[in-house]
Amino acid sequence: MSDVSTAVDRLVGGDKATLARALTAVENARPQARELLAALQQHTGGAHVVGVTGAPGVGKSTLCNALIREWRARGRRVGVIAVDPSSPLTGGAVLGDRVRMHEHDEDDGVFIRSLAARSNAGGLAASTTDVITVLDAAGMDCVLVETVGTGQSEVDIARTVRSTVVVSAPGLGDDVQAIKAGILEVADVLVVNKADLPHAEQCARQLRAMLSLREVRAWQPPVIMTSAQTDQGLQDLADALQRHNDESNVEDAAHGSIAFADWPQRLLPRDRFAQHLGIELLAGGGGHASVRMRVQAEHISFNGTCHGGVTFSLADTAFGLASNSHGVVAAAIDAHITYPRAVRINDTLTASAVEESRGRRFATYRVIVTRTDGATVATFTGTVAIIGDKQNRDSQK
Amino acid sequence: MSVKDNAVPAKVLVTKIGLDGHDRGSRVVAAYLRDAGMEVIYTGPWQRIPAVVALTQEEDVDVVGISSLATDHLIVPKLVRALEEAGLAHVRVVVGGIVPDDEVATLQERGVSKVFHPGSSREEIVATVQRLAQEARRERPEI
Repeated sequence: MSDVSTAVDRLVGGDKATLARALTAVENARPQARELLAALQQHTGGAHVVGVTGAPGVGKSTLCNALIREWRARGRRVGVIAVDPSSPLTGGAVLGDRVRMHEHDEDDGVFIRSLAARSNAGGLAASTTDVITVLDAAGMDCVLVETVGTGQSEVDIARTVRSTVVVSAPGLGDDVQAIKAGILEVADVLVVNKADLPHAEQCARQLRAMLSLREVRAWQPPVIMTSAQTDQGLQDLADALQRHNDESNVEDAAHGSIAFADWPQRLLPRDRFAQHLGIELLAGGGGHASVRMRVQAEHISFNGTCHGGVTFSLADTAFGLASNSHGVVAAAIDAHITYPRAVRINDTLTASAVEESRGRRFATYRVIVTRTDGATVATFTGTVAIIGDKQNRDSQK
Repeated sequence: MSVKDNAVPAKVLVTKIGLDGHDRGSRVVAAYLRDAGMEVIYTGPWQRIPAVVALTQEEDVDVVGISSLATDHLIVPKLVRALEEAGLAHVRVVVGGIVPDDEVATLQERGVSKVFHPGSSREEIVATVQRLAQEARRERPEI
């Protein structure tokens, strides 16, 4: 436990070695990862998270490289997540996006991490959200996520980042076709890259024409022509992203949808049963929560080990706090637990819950309960229905 | 530990330092390692030692493989020292390519874990890198 809090201090303080190891821990879902992520939540929210997607060959990596250069010229610290595909047969991967970003290798203000998509479809690795959390907490001003270029099925990215850049390029045959469904709708900024090639203007016109057919929204995605080779349009792109971030922040404030990191702190004291069991909060907020309790004599079953219901209650409490941490009431509708190891009297148990998915109506969570020695004593999955009422911030009702 | 060490793919950096641009060998080896289920960061030739150190740290790799066909192996001990100075002593360094027999011992004394000569089999390379990656994992701090 002290391991994790020391790591959090070092990471937030800007230590690159700790950052690198923390990223590996969350990428590989190591036992400390949940606690670490829960503890990092309160340090997040400072980064502008930008996703870059588009068909293979449109120049995503080269564009990312140029955008990093532009951000560095503006004094921003930049974290980069470059996702490449894994082999479905062997699980192996060659991660080559960095080949186009070498000019930033020795820059202390840039931290690049390659991620293999592993078995995840949708153009992202399963751990992407957690990796973003860690880079955000490490003090990056901008976090850039480059997806696997797979074409139409990449709407995942839009759910993961603040601003989505969809990149297209002229001369790729029916390239507009490739982005018209699905990912065109999720674009916050459209880029026509390789603007130095013939027909670039025509490609941009087609995109503008398609956008003009959509209903008018508060944010109209601009179409920006860039040449990552010559830096043409890169300032415009950085400006457009800044504008999108500013406007999204205003909108968030208006809708009250900014997650309050302190919801678990407010909710746990209202939970009479958790109080009865002596459960205390370690960290929580933004879909995560970690809680702890010590197993006492009154928690022991007829077999002389901790009653499964006690372990379940601890996991359930973490689940409840995590699922209600967005400030919106959520009610459990299903839960499942597995107990791989026994728990004995005087063991201290830690339950860490993390959000696996959250849609409009339902959300799912995974909870891991560990003993003092770090061994996993229970794994728990649960689903909530999102009721949608705002949590009451103060009263004891 | 809920995840077994061997459930997580070994992470390997395949690169070339120095001025030699013959990168065919490194590409073939990168493909071997990928096909054995490892995650390979591939960079292409002409890397500087500080860049390789930064990359090793940022990507948190277990093994660094240096391809050397034109005496670049002579600067590998410098890389090994730079990795140690950066707190990355657990990372294993291997060299593949043209290394005169009488220089192999020197490299190994200076911290190179293994030298692969031309004709090394795919099986030998994969098994050795896999074993070295596991050693590196055991030595590195968790967070």
